[in-house]
Parts: sequence; structure tokens; C-alpha cells
Amino acid sequence: MINSIFNICGNIGQKFLKFLATIGHFFIFFITAIFWMFRPPWYFKKIFYQIIDIGYFSLPVVGLTTFFSGMVLALQTYNGFTELNTETTVARVVLTSITRELGPVLTGLMVAGRIGAKMAAEIATMRVTEQIDALGTLGTRPMQYLIAPKIIASLICIPVLVLLGNTIGILGGYVIAIFKLEFNPSIYLYATVEYLQWIDIIQGTVKAIIFGLIISMVSCYFGFNATKGAEGVGYATTASVVISSVMILTSTYVITALFFG
Amino acid sequence: MKNKLYNKTIIEVKNLTKSFNDNIVLNNINFELFEGESLAIIGESGSGKSVLLKNIIGLLTPDKGSIKINGLEMVNLKRSVKEKVLLDLGITFQHGALFDSLQNWENIVFKIRNNEKLSNKDAKKLALSIIKRLGLNSEILTLYPSEISGGMQKRVAIARAICGDPKILLFDEPTSGLDPVTGSLIDKLIKTAVKTVGGSAITITHDMASVCRIADKVILIDRQTISWLGTPNEMLKSNNPKIKDFIKSTNPKLFV
Repeated sequence: MINSIFNICGNIGQKFLKFLATIGHFFIFFITAIFWMFRPPWYFKKIFYQIIDIGYFSLPVVGLTTFFSGMVLALQTYNGFTELNTETTVARVVLTSITRELGPVLTGLMVAGRIGAKMAAEIATMRVTEQIDALGTLGTRPMQYLIAPKIIASLICIPVLVLLGNTIGILGGYVIAIFKLEFNPSIYLYATVEYLQWIDIIQGTVKAIIFGLIISMVSCYFGFNATKGAEGVGYATTASVVISSVMILTSTYVITALFFG
Repeated sequence: MKNKLYNKTIIEVKNLTKSFNDNIVLNNINFELFEGESLAIIGESGSGKSVLLKNIIGLLTPDKGSIKINGLEMVNLKRSVKEKVLLDLGITFQHGALFDSLQNWENIVFKIRNNEKLSNKDAKKLALSIIKRLGLNSEILTLYPSEISGGMQKRVAIARAICGDPKILLFDEPTSGLDPVTGSLIDKLIKTAVKTVGGSAITITHDMASVCRIADKVILIDRQTISWLGTPNEMLKSNNPKIKDFIKSTNPKLFV
């Protein structure tokens, strides 16, 4: 009996130590990646390709998600607030929800699924096929050549995607409000502009930057440290998406609490 | 074994020990590679040959011992200095390790283009001149590694290693998976690369015919350590049971 309690405690302790070691390892990776981001040479061609991949090719999925979210939000708000001054309330709720929360979070989750998985799989494959080892022997630093362009591109693209996603989301709400709920377009637009606050845009942008850092760092970390062949690539991909998503949802609360808590 | 023909030591490995967790892979490895010398390392799969190579190029850090390249201690050497040393090395990995996002010509001239300005036209010309030496067609230059056969990938990897005529060449099973004619061509190329640029080479191989063609010196790694060292002729006449078994099982014709 006592032995099995000791065994359970031992296992928990071992897992906890392993968790702490992973956190420490990730922190070192994070600092190293940041360091190499600011050291020349910068691989502009690679950064450009990443911007196209992360920014341009993610736009349809981000646009579609935020557009429909805006539409749903307008419809649900209207149903909930029919007895109030709905025209301004719907516009305000759509605007605030999209800019503060839904726009950044949905964009972050979509990019984590699309780009995070791709980054992790690409780097993990390179790791298990010795391509990263080969890079190091050809006068190139893998952190600088592989990781830094992805982080730089994420930090540039995700805030832009969030801003575009916010606009499309608000447009989604507008479309429903005008064409289905038969609101007055001028009043709805006026209410939207009136309630638009700089703090919301700043907060959304801060979230986008943090999410960009989370997605690129987590994905690159799991890809870079992949082991055990194809299974390792699968694990790196899954772990990067799951952990990025959890970190996005956790950090969005922390940032909101810091801004409005 | 110090050969009269060779004076300058290019690579010196002393008391190298490497283990993974409690599993000792290499124990007290000692050897020297001289200028102009071609060394072949043989041994069973999993005997630690590739681990030895990875220790030499700094991808792994030995638990104990010293590795010197051109007199410079590589273990715990400053990263920037180690990178400069590695630029003088041409390395092929066991599975090619070509970058699949780059076309073959970009793979071949990767190191050169990374360290000096070279127009695409000149780089392609350089890549073409190298692949011709390896018996490859110019059409493969604009293809991606995934679009060519495994044997061709191997040759592109060798082309990448010899691009820029490095003085030290390290090959991890360069002829595995190749047909005998191409294998022989690669052997000739390794021999030529060593002799013409006065370079030195370490080749890990299981192909005993290849060992006889390219090597001046042979090392057998067995049970974590160097169990035999000699010339290819001495190897063929050796009474060492391990050597005999190895030759018989890999290329019995050499014994006839």
C-alpha cells in the first residue's frame, strides 16, 4: 500500500519535473529565437514567402470565420435585445465583441490550425530527415534561417489579419442588421463609428502580436525538437496546435484583465 | 598507424567516449586522419559509426575525449569559430538530407551562395559542372529532391558536399542504395577529390569493394571501440574473425 503511494507520488514528481524541464527548454528556445531575429543576415526572401503564406493565404479562412461570427452575433444580439434600443445596441455589441475578443481569438485559432500545424510539420520533418543538421554544417544557423523568418512574418501578419478580420466581422454584422433585421444603414454605421474606441483597437493589436508570438514560437519549438520519425512529426503537429490554442485562450483572458480588469 | 607518406594531421580523435543515457555507444576511440589520406570506417549497423561522424562535425558533443580538426580543438569550441571550421568540410548524411523546399541546383550551391554573392546564372553553371562529374543529367537541376530517384538524391547530396572543393570530406554511406556502376563512379570521384585537391576523406561504408577502391586506411568499429585498424590489403589478409566475418558477409568475392 505504502509502496504504491510512493510510486504514484514518484510518477507525479517525475512528470512535474519533466514539465518544468520543458518549460525551461522552451524559455531558452524563446530567448535564442528572439536573439537571432535581431542579428544579421536577415533572409528577406524567406520572410517574404512566409508573409505570403501566413498573411495572404490565411485571409480567406480568417475572413470567412469572422464574417459569419459577425452575422451570428448581430442575429443573437437582436434576439436578446428586441425590447431595448436595438439599433445602437446591436452595433455596439457586434463592434465590441469583434474588436476586443472574437476577431483576435478566432483569427489566432484559425492561424494556429492552419499555419502553426504547417510550421511544426515542416520543421519536424526537416529535423527527422537530418536537414536541420545539414543546415548547420553548411554555414547556416538553423535558428536564423528557419525559425527567425517565421516569427518575424507571424508578428507582421497576424496583427494585420486581426485588423482585417475585425473589419470583415463588423461587415458581417452590418449585412445582417441591414438586409435581414432591416435596420437603418446610416444609424447603424453611425452607432458603429461612435462606439469605436482606440483602446479596443490597441487591445486587439496587442493580442494579435502576443498570439503571433505564441503560434510561431510554440510551433517552431515542437517542430525543432521533434524526434522518432513520422510519429514525432505527428506529435509535434498535434502538440503545436493544441498548446497554441490553449495558450491563446489563456492569454486572451490575461490581456483583457490587464486592459479592462 | 603513422604512414610515412602523410605528415600533417587533419583530424585527430583522442579517447572519445559517447553514450546516450546509460548506453555507451563509443568508448575510448583513437585515430588520426592525415593530409591526403582516405579513411574508411566499417562496422555493423548500430555500431556507432554515424555517431562518431556526428561527434567530429559537432552535431553531438562527446562525453569525454578530444577531437581536433587542423589542430583546433572542436569540443566546446566557440560556435562562430566552429562554423568557420565546418565551412572547410564537405559532408554527406546517411539519407542525403537534401532541402526539399529547394531545387537541386539550389541544394548543390547552398553553402557557396550562403557565404559569397553568386548570381543565379553562375550558381546554376557551377552546379551543372559538378553534377556532370557525377554522371547526372542537367535536367535534374531544376527539379526538387522529391522528384528524383533515391540514387540521384544521393549523388546530389555528394555534389553538395564537394561543391567548392573542400579539403576535408566526410561521407556517411555514400554508395548505399546505388547500383554498382554508379557506386564505382562515386568511389572514383571520392578518390579523385582526395587526390586532386590534396584533401582528406572519411567514408563510412558497408561496401567492402568500395573500401578497397577508396581507402588508404580502414577502421573497424566493434563493441563501442576500434577493434581493428589497417590498410585494405591487410584487411583482406587479416585473421581477425570479425574482419573475416564482415568481409564474407558483405562481399565474399573479395575473399576468392
